[in-house]
Amino acid sequence: MTALLDTDGPRTAVGAPPPAVRRRGTLRERFPGLALPALVWYAVFMIGPVVAMFVIAFLSWPGMLTTPTPAGLDNFARVLTDETFWTATANSAVQIVVGLPVMIALAFLLAFYAVQKPRGHRVLRYLLFIPALISAPATAMVFYAMLNPDGLVNGFLRPLGLEGNEWLADPATALGAIIAVELWSGIGYSAVLIASRLDGVEGEIVQAARLDGAGDWRLAWRVYWPIAQDFIGVVAMLQFLSMLFNSAQTVLLLTQGGPENATTTLAYLIYRKAFVETDLGYSQAVGVVLFVIGLAGMWAIRRLLRATH
Amino acid sequence: MAQRTALPLRDRIGSITSGTLAWIYAALLVVPFYYFIVSAFKTNEEIFESPLALPTTFDLTNVTTAIRQADLGLAVANSVLTTVAALVLTLLLALPAAFALARSTGRAGKVVEGVFALGFLIPSFAALFPTFLLAAALGLFHTRTFVVFLLPATALPLSIVILTSFMRTIPRELEEAASMDGASPLQVLRQVYLPICVPGIATVLLLNFLSFWNAYLYPLILIGPDTAQRTIQVALPTLKVDAGTDYGVLMAGTLFTLLPVYLVYTLLQRQMQRALLSGAVKG
Repeated sequence: MTALLDTDGPRTAVGAPPPAVRRRGTLRERFPGLALPALVWYAVFMIGPVVAMFVIAFLSWPGMLTTPTPAGLDNFARVLTDETFWTATANSAVQIVVGLPVMIALAFLLAFYAVQKPRGHRVLRYLLFIPALISAPATAMVFYAMLNPDGLVNGFLRPLGLEGNEWLADPATALGAIIAVELWSGIGYSAVLIASRLDGVEGEIVQAARLDGAGDWRLAWRVYWPIAQDFIGVVAMLQFLSMLFNSAQTVLLLTQGGPENATTTLAYLIYRKAFVETDLGYSQAVGVVLFVIGLAGMWAIRRLLRATH
Repeated sequence: MAQRTALPLRDRIGSITSGTLAWIYAALLVVPFYYFIVSAFKTNEEIFESPLALPTTFDLTNVTTAIRQADLGLAVANSVLTTVAALVLTLLLALPAAFALARSTGRAGKVVEGVFALGFLIPSFAALFPTFLLAAALGLFHTRTFVVFLLPATALPLSIVILTSFMRTIPRELEEAASMDGASPLQVLRQVYLPICVPGIATVLLLNFLSFWNAYLYPLILIGPDTAQRTIQVALPTLKVDAGTDYGVLMAGTLFTLLPVYLVYTLLQRQMQRALLSGAVKG
């Protein structure tokens, strides 16, 4: 705001119109014209489709080749009375309420450990980046191979005298397996992010806590956590959105929502209704619901983990 | 170190717990990796019987089968083409925009910046179907071209935020001196700003290389199954068959998606780590 006044000041003070070149320069500075192509591009390819999502949610559009007609709130009524929607909501809720705290807590402990610079911390940091590099299909395919009945996981369990399982085909374990895959790929990146913040914690604070007789456990949760809390909140939001939306890829690649909707999350439901069942109004109505859940969840995380100092 | 080991056991519980967890997780990162690499050179029987044994022979049959079965050579070429074209387009759009925003002093600049910042909140994935309609409307459905257009849009908010913060560090006098010499804005951008922004550009390129190369749902829906057009990420899962997947072949195919990323990570480890860190911090 002050910058705005500063630039306006001299111009009005001088009074006499400055040379044309000078004025064009000022105008250019005040209106960032070179940003226009990017802005237009962004509006067409990103904002446009999201706006369209909100429109389609209020249309009756039962197939790609049919003509859409206005439907008012019918889609939402249909969504809210559909059992599958509630199953998907429950699955997404489990995924986030269980998965997210576990991911953040473990990532924080890992970061705390890495920041102490123990022996091998360089190797550890190198490894922690790995999941962030691997695409969803590659991760899913490796886990598909490990979780199949003859795969690595059962290969480990059988010699221990434990029953193997068809992890992805058993309704009792399929959602757990999906969450496990997401934890596997999310913990490492969250940990390096949190570690980058913990690295900035001043040594003196740590020393003082040590002198007060704080053990490692208290040092982690009472000193490091409060200092990094707002940043951990940002990481939590990032992972929350990624779990909420990107789970569709993992589900699509590993279980296609099955067995019997056991792994159908809200994001996957959007995909299935749009591209498998072509119930487009329904799909986009769920999209709107997910959009609202996303905003609400981020607000909740912000409330929960906002800066305490 | 000496001081830390002197602490009583009770006070080291935190480190012992977090250390144990850290190395268990590290093992969980390494073991799948090892398993997938050795499996790429084994048959199903060998994989099932002794999952962690080294392959008995260094046999490339799985690799060649994977290439033939899913047209992986073509898919890699498509991925390279799409990624490189999208990267170039991203820079062409983001660099002038960041330049304009960094120099802008007016309210319009702030608004534009705000619009891009909001982009972090847009769940573009939920709008996959309208995106698909857009592709159809432009007559670019089932083409790589549309994905080349779309991917930069997904990358613009972060790229612009990173580049703008770099360009803000450049003193105005430098630019004014160049303007005096009669340089146009684009010349100023090219001759003054670009050389100084090289680290920022590298960060943007590395981050977007990862997300473009690894993109899955967009190419899957928008490019579709046509082997002449599809990318490696879309081709790979076709090696998984409901009845009787050849896991050796599947793992050999996975090698193809990871190789370029690993090559870049190994060569540019520090830059890549810095990019990944700044990528989220700014978000």
